[in-house]
Amino acid sequence: MDSEIYMDLDTVIHRLDPRTKIFMLAVFFVLILYFQNPLWVLPISLVIVLLGVISRSLVNLKRIAYIMVILTISGMVMWTLFSSGKTTLFWIIKLEAVEYAASRTLVMLSLITTGIIFLSTTRNEEFIIGMIKFGLPYRVGFAISTALRLVPTLVASVSIIGQAQRSRGLDLDSGNIIQRVRKFVPLLIPVFISTIRSTNIFGMALESKGFGARPDRTFYLDPRMQTRDYITIAILVALFAAVTVIKIQGYGNIPGLVRF
Amino acid sequence: MLTQQLTKAPKETAAGEPVIAIHDLHYRYRGAKKYALDGINLEVPKGTFLFVMGPSEAGKSTLAATFNGLIPHYHKGKFVGDVIVMGRNTRQQTVAQLAEQVGMVFQDFEAQLFSTNVELEVAFGPENYAVPREEIRKRIDECLRLVGLEEVRHRSPSTLSGGQKQKLAIASVLAMHTPILVMDEPTTDLDPISKVGIFEIANQLKERAENTLVIVEHETEEALNADQLLMLKEGQIFKLGPARELLRDVRLFEELGVMPLPIPKYFQAMGVADPPLTVEEGVRRFQAQGWRFSEEKHNQLVMQDAERAQNTGQTLIHCEELELVYPNGFKALHGVSLDIHRGEMVAILGQNGSGKTTLVKHFNGLLYPTAGKIEVDGHPTREQGIFQLGKKVGYVFQNPDHQIFSDTVFDEVAYTLRLRKQPEEMIKKAVAEALEAVDLAGFEKEDPFSLTKSGRQRVAVAAVLAAQPEIVILDEPTTGLDYAEQRSMMDLVKELNRRGNTIIFVTHHMWVVAEYAQRVFVIKDGKVYLEGTTREVFSHEDELREAYLRPPHLVSFSNRFGKTMLTLDELVGCTEKGS
Repeated sequence: MDSEIYMDLDTVIHRLDPRTKIFMLAVFFVLILYFQNPLWVLPISLVIVLLGVISRSLVNLKRIAYIMVILTISGMVMWTLFSSGKTTLFWIIKLEAVEYAASRTLVMLSLITTGIIFLSTTRNEEFIIGMIKFGLPYRVGFAISTALRLVPTLVASVSIIGQAQRSRGLDLDSGNIIQRVRKFVPLLIPVFISTIRSTNIFGMALESKGFGARPDRTFYLDPRMQTRDYITIAILVALFAAVTVIKIQGYGNIPGLVRF
Repeated sequence: MLTQQLTKAPKETAAGEPVIAIHDLHYRYRGAKKYALDGINLEVPKGTFLFVMGPSEAGKSTLAATFNGLIPHYHKGKFVGDVIVMGRNTRQQTVAQLAEQVGMVFQDFEAQLFSTNVELEVAFGPENYAVPREEIRKRIDECLRLVGLEEVRHRSPSTLSGGQKQKLAIASVLAMHTPILVMDEPTTDLDPISKVGIFEIANQLKERAENTLVIVEHETEEALNADQLLMLKEGQIFKLGPARELLRDVRLFEELGVMPLPIPKYFQAMGVADPPLTVEEGVRRFQAQGWRFSEEKHNQLVMQDAERAQNTGQTLIHCEELELVYPNGFKALHGVSLDIHRGEMVAILGQNGSGKTTLVKHFNGLLYPTAGKIEVDGHPTREQGIFQLGKKVGYVFQNPDHQIFSDTVFDEVAYTLRLRKQPEEMIKKAVAEALEAVDLAGFEKEDPFSLTKSGRQRVAVAAVLAAQPEIVILDEPTTGLDYAEQRSMMDLVKELNRRGNTIIFVTHHMWVVAEYAQRVFVIKDGKVYLEGTTREVFSHEDELREAYLRPPHLVSFSNRFGKTMLTLDELVGCTEKGS
């Protein structure tokens, strides 16, 4: 039904210029990776969550809640097992390793949340025009936006084809690994064929609307940097500088952590 | 007799010089053996509304694709002859250059929309031609007003209904201000009133003298407003002439394999030489002739309906206040209550997005209600589960390409039985029977993908039949087929019903309902809005219109005299030529 991530709301974040939002995305992607200690990562995560609250886009996380839970569990387990330290908590589990696992998991979840907030507040077209204003060629931008557009289409066709084959008795949830893999054939072939078919029509529709007809094209969307954009960028730069200084000073590490 | 004037285009049309001229065009798709277009000569004068009809594989869409250069530039292949558009040969132009002259709307409204906002969708074409921003803004206003989508201008296209999406596709092409507009089966996937909406737009465009309009369509009723009618058959021009003149000639349509207009067909069956075309004209002629419908014979028909209703078996599907809320919070069903009995042939109708497909998906356990009750064969569906229910209920999806995956027709049809681990002997027998039923015996070794759409549809039906379900659900079994194929598909379904299967079908084709359904449920806004025998439901024309439906011409015609008749035979049988 409704497979789009973008939410048509009118919040402070939505109103920002796409360039500001792209910059914001980049800043948080870097900052979140600075620290080892979860207590140092946490404030940055909280700022991200705050942005999510302001833009009212956290509901979109519900749709991938299942994936996030799996990532949390597997992240905690893996990083705990694959790192070490000197303070034994119990058995072979070290305190430093648990701390590190917590921070890595937090980083992962924060990255996803940042991405979701960005996609929830930025139209596909705005993202592309933002990138073009940063110097990306239009055709490349359009290719990216088409790829993004393909995801919901694919999800929809997998869902309907899955229903068709289940009606015919296909049970994907039983059998051993090899049997299960073979069961995907009735799904994959129709998915490929219908995707190729709709891509073909998409190509015809594009050509028929004069895609690439002129070297210069008009962009109907015309984002302009406003005062709020300059203020936001100033805050982001200050935040980035401050956190970078703290990082260079050597804060936020886990002493005694051993990574494999 | 018909005057055969096969390849000669009319020269005397007053409107002006031809905007499209085609000289001796032959075209063969790459890898195909047969020519899709085989010697076409055609001139389309400026300002014409040209309607193109023909059976499947006649070359209609192929011809349309030559107008804006998709053939030969996008679809490579063997291309002989010339297509001259606005004085320029399409060979020497790119599609993007031609797109300034020829706008193109496709059947598949999902695949041709790609923006996240209605306004941006309309802006896309003009943007490519570097139209200034202010001018684009004006065009957006103008085009959205014309197609009636101003109120949804800030919505995302994916949230629109099917009819709205197709209107948006038209607006996005109109915004390019092309002198020629081509629509390739724009209404195939739409409900009857949305269809009318698209054709109202077409008629508005027709009024503008500078616009040339070409529409490829299956719906004969809509050809009434066209200036010229082009009939194609096997890649050649079968007949070209003024639309209203050709429409009177019922035999011509039958020869071509396209549905003739029902009103002239009736009057011709009654022995009138120059039949009227529309319902209005028909009513006037009927009165002028002094004919009337026999009260007694009509009552007999109503009695027969009642008798048949009494003779149906016990309840097979029972719904009570069925509700469904999708995980995203969208409520698709608002309390549906209905009963379907063993041995019935039931049609489920409704506007695009009314919830009819959602409803039938409950019948085989693809969906479970979020509130209310549904029982199939006396037990709640949730207890039976989809795999248990699958043995009783077969479901043929709308698009056969959503399920076909095997290398041979035999494997495809045997799929369900093999999953159920039936003995190979029994599978062979069941597959043979199923293929026999769909008239595909002898095709066992064929690759299903090499068949036509109608052939693939039959494979999909056979695959369901082989599992020998008691109930067969068909979701839009006739969409995308031509008249002859629709008839043979529905005759097949009727035969299944005669042999004891309970049939439930969802459709937008009203004549199919009139001729084949015994009972009808009309779904509107997730509720049962009308139910009864086909005759009862089709007598409520005003209520049907509320649900975005309208009965076929023949039924409307009889309704005007206070009696509802469903088929030509009934109509002819009840007519009394006064003394």
